[in-house]
Amino acid sequence: MHRKLLATWMAAASLLVSGTASAAGGIISGKVDATPPKYLPDTVVYLKSVPGTYPPRTVNMDQKGLKFIPAMIAITQGDTVKFLNHDTVAHNVYSPDGEAYNLGTFKPEQEASYTFKKTGPYSQLCSIHPEMLGYVWVGQNPYSAVVDSKGEYVIKDVPPGTYQLAVWNADKLKAPEKSVTVTAGKTEQENISIKR
Amino acid sequence: MRRVRNAWKQWVVAAMALGLAMPASAIPAFARKYGTSCLTCHTVYPKLTPFGEAFRRNGYRFPGVDSDFVKQETVPLGQEANKKTFPRSVWPATIPSSLPVAIGFNGQANLYPDKSASVPRTNHAAGGAATVFSFDDLVAETHLWLGAALSDTLTTWGELTLANDGSVSVEHFQLLFDDLVGPKHLVNVVVGKGFPTISPFGPHSSFAADLQIPNLPVTGLYGINSDPFVLVDDYTGVEVNGVARGRVQYAAGLSNGKNTFTASFNSENVYAGAAYKLGGMRLDGEGDTGPRNPMQPWAEESLTFHAFVYRSAEHFQTPGNTAASSGDTSVTVGGGLRAMHGSAEVDLGYYTQSHDHGTDALGKVRGDALYGELSYVVYPWLVPALRVERVSLHPSGGGAVSDLHLMPALALLVRPNIKFVVAGNMEFANGFPSPGGAPTAWDGGSGDSGALVIAPTGSDPGQKRSEFESLTFFLAFAL
Repeated sequence: MHRKLLATWMAAASLLVSGTASAAGGIISGKVDATPPKYLPDTVVYLKSVPGTYPPRTVNMDQKGLKFIPAMIAITQGDTVKFLNHDTVAHNVYSPDGEAYNLGTFKPEQEASYTFKKTGPYSQLCSIHPEMLGYVWVGQNPYSAVVDSKGEYVIKDVPPGTYQLAVWNADKLKAPEKSVTVTAGKTEQENISIKR
Repeated sequence: MRRVRNAWKQWVVAAMALGLAMPASAIPAFARKYGTSCLTCHTVYPKLTPFGEAFRRNGYRFPGVDSDFVKQETVPLGQEANKKTFPRSVWPATIPSSLPVAIGFNGQANLYPDKSASVPRTNHAAGGAATVFSFDDLVAETHLWLGAALSDTLTTWGELTLANDGSVSVEHFQLLFDDLVGPKHLVNVVVGKGFPTISPFGPHSSFAADLQIPNLPVTGLYGINSDPFVLVDDYTGVEVNGVARGRVQYAAGLSNGKNTFTASFNSENVYAGAAYKLGGMRLDGEGDTGPRNPMQPWAEESLTFHAFVYRSAEHFQTPGNTAASSGDTSVTVGGGLRAMHGSAEVDLGYYTQSHDHGTDALGKVRGDALYGELSYVVYPWLVPALRVERVSLHPSGGGAVSDLHLMPALALLVRPNIKFVVAGNMEFANGFPSPGGAPTAWDGGSGDSGALVIAPTGSDPGQKRSEFESLTFFLAFAL
């Protein structure tokens, strides 16, 4: 009987975590539409300033088929990105943005890591293959999300409070910031239009 | 478009060649690039709407940010961020994923109601029949056009023409470096082969003729240069142009003609022009001055003035001496205006051209050209037009001669990319050019269907003659 009850509670908790806001925080979700629509990829929605300290994480960005995969990631200041190479050719990763860095050449199956010290967007380039482009977007806090191919985004586990919701787009489309109030256990719906 | 060539001894050949002249600005490559119809920029192509003219003036770019409108996939040859790493990186660019090429065909059939008119008469005299009609050149030329952007500020434009006489020529190839300094559209540089900007409108801005500004090949008419300098031709060089505050256009350039001589280029040219537009869409198409009536995007209320000056130092073989070269310097001053009132348009222009050694005796001569075209867009596919061109020569110490060309025309779009024009050609000559005292045919102007081809019937250079030259059925299509 106790086991059944425990299983039921666990299932309910799992549903809460995956489908709705957790009791500790809230969710901000919505849809971004871009004009022109072709510029929708490489867009991140984020909260401008959320007080707190955040433990550093490590996130992977791969190079495969002469592409950065994923093409864009959103991380937090102090996080590390591990750049992988699953191609059969050598790659390089460098960025002229922020403090600027060059990780040198790495062969197939080799990897290189970099810890991001400043906030803002970092273009990821490969000097061997000038057509390659990726983005690492570095926020002050982890409450950010890269929009998907439909323009949808979800920012989870946001502490209750009132924040400025902003958007960054690689093709310089813009939208005014929005004030959003997050309530524990609830989902705030915020749709955003970005344009020139 | 076939280059206007003048060889007075072969004037019929030249006249036929002129008959094949092709208005060439219709670029389906742009339609594919932007995923838009030909009608975004054209009425009966190659005539451009005010928006199409702005697109052309901007270096074949949309107003605003050009790449925002591009639907075609592109391959990056570098990334925007590479600009930050220059000069350690190559400045970035893109190319279209598919080859930005279009193909077109054109030609004409001629009906000669009067067998005694110059072309059928000369054909008869050469051993042929006094032709009544001719379909020989209905599909006379094939064009391959190139139109692409390498970035938001670097574009390309090219045209390769294959004629049914077997000739192949690169008529245009230009790199257009746009917005180099200052406000957008203010300073652009064009490098390559193409037409000079001596008018704010496209060189083929006519419903009835091939060229908006007619040519007058003076040294050709006097038989001293088989490839004479003319105002509007595909010369190679560099041009600086731009639009200031949306209403003022300027251009200045240097160019060379073809190298027909081993010793020197056949012309060294310097030119400059300016224009001002009142009302209607801005010259650069920026802002919110869209069409007054969205069902008539070609229509507006506007008045555009322009003026230009052109100096050419032409080189040719000294008449009667194959070992020596001579030169003629000409200075042309001209201008015009275009008034648009809704769907009605009047285009007027004039230029005078002074040559210091323009005749076969290397004497002074002045040439004048006057043109006007009245048109009305009844429907976007139906445009009646009436065009008049008058050219004249005033040799120093000789009698003035002139030729008037009257062209009533009906331009039709069978489909947005299929054009059909019916044009009549009437000429009235008041005397003929007479190198060495022998009168020659007129060969100039800008008519699609034979230009100025009237020829003398006797030995008197001062005789008057008028002819109904031909009725021309012009066909063109592009994919």
